[in-house]
Amino acid sequence: MQAVRDGDLGGLAILFERHHRPLFNYFVHVNGNRDLSEDLVQDVFFRMLKYRKSYQPDRSFTAWMYQIARNAHVDSIGKRKFEVALGEKEFASGNKMDENLKRKQEITLLKRAMSLLPLEKRELLVLTRYQNLKYEEIASILGCEVGAVKVRVYRAVRALGEIYFELAGEKAS
Amino acid sequence: MNCEEARTQFVDYWRGTLEDPVGEFRGHLDSCERCQAEANELRDLWGTLGALPEEDPSLDLRVRFYDSLRAWRQRESERRKGWWWIRHPAFQAASAAAILVIGVATGYFMRGRDTSEVSQLRGEVYNMRQLVALSLLQQQNASDRLRGVNYAYRVEQSDPQVLSALLTTLDHDSNVNVRLAAVDAVRNFTDSPVGRRGLVQALAKQDSPLVQIAILDQIVELHEKSAVSAIQFLLSGQDVNPDVRQRAQWALKQLQ
Repeated sequence: MQAVRDGDLGGLAILFERHHRPLFNYFVHVNGNRDLSEDLVQDVFFRMLKYRKSYQPDRSFTAWMYQIARNAHVDSIGKRKFEVALGEKEFASGNKMDENLKRKQEITLLKRAMSLLPLEKRELLVLTRYQNLKYEEIASILGCEVGAVKVRVYRAVRALGEIYFELAGEKAS
Repeated sequence: MNCEEARTQFVDYWRGTLEDPVGEFRGHLDSCERCQAEANELRDLWGTLGALPEEDPSLDLRVRFYDSLRAWRQRESERRKGWWWIRHPAFQAASAAAILVIGVATGYFMRGRDTSEVSQLRGEVYNMRQLVALSLLQQQNASDRLRGVNYAYRVEQSDPQVLSALLTTLDHDSNVNVRLAAVDAVRNFTDSPVGRRGLVQALAKQDSPLVQIAILDQIVELHEKSAVSAIQFLLSGQDVNPDVRQRAQWALKQLQ
């Protein structure tokens, strides 16, 4: 990114190849909409070009990228006012797993629970679980202390658990 | 370690990034059934969360990205080509010289316009001051009238309208402070015979000793000999304030 900041725009292609897939998954897990997520990935890379001078080499690139991603996502909510629909259909296309029926049911239920979670908790789980970001990086993205991130991640997992077990109970009864 | 502290370590525990050198966390988990149950229950959920399938973006995303990047680079290079000369030292030196010449020329030409536009502007400002002074002198509120009197200092001494308004104030204003201020303000107009005469005539119309003494002082200062008869008329009154009488007699001596 430092090269891009110093004027080597070709460096952006390398960053794209390295990060576009995790970034796309971040958006899909947060908003459940593939088309919108592709638009947002494109948007993030061109925001990087536009604001490349604001990149500080001593800071984690991933944290900087997800900070831009969060802003892009917030802007898109303002523009479109869409409802999050993280339903089964949205994910069905990429599901190539060879699992038994019970596992599939669990996953379906979990996606449903994720879609019912408030945006900030869902976002936090995506960053921690799928993107495997360190607490320090998440703290830098959210602008808070590492201790606060730990507490918030725990609360997000717990909130997800409450929704998940309630849905599981409804299904079983 | 209490339950709350232990729970914030759950994610590290599941991730395998737990730093527990003295075994505090594990000790708590062994001794607290509730935390143990919660950690196990949520660990399964955490595991399933990690098993959610990854999505692949469409090929279209890559195509769009490279198209946009190409367009961006093209724009960037055109922009640089178009403006290279702006960084050239010769251009920068020439612009500095041009700005200097424009500055000097503007100053030179503006000098010629001073007589017409600036004097017109001065006239407008003066009219505005006159208007403000006159309108303030007619206000109901004494402090506004006082401001009006003070404003009268800002107009030219030859202004007959303002002088006339000041003399009316001096003769008829109900407030002593306003009248006292008017006495001081009229001093600015004593080059004019109207101003001097007005001051002398005002003496007979005053009932406040303070104002009478102020006018007497002013008359002496101006050495206004035409005021002698007015002072004598004042002294002929039956109920003249002793201080005023004393001051009037002193004034008479000064004027003779």
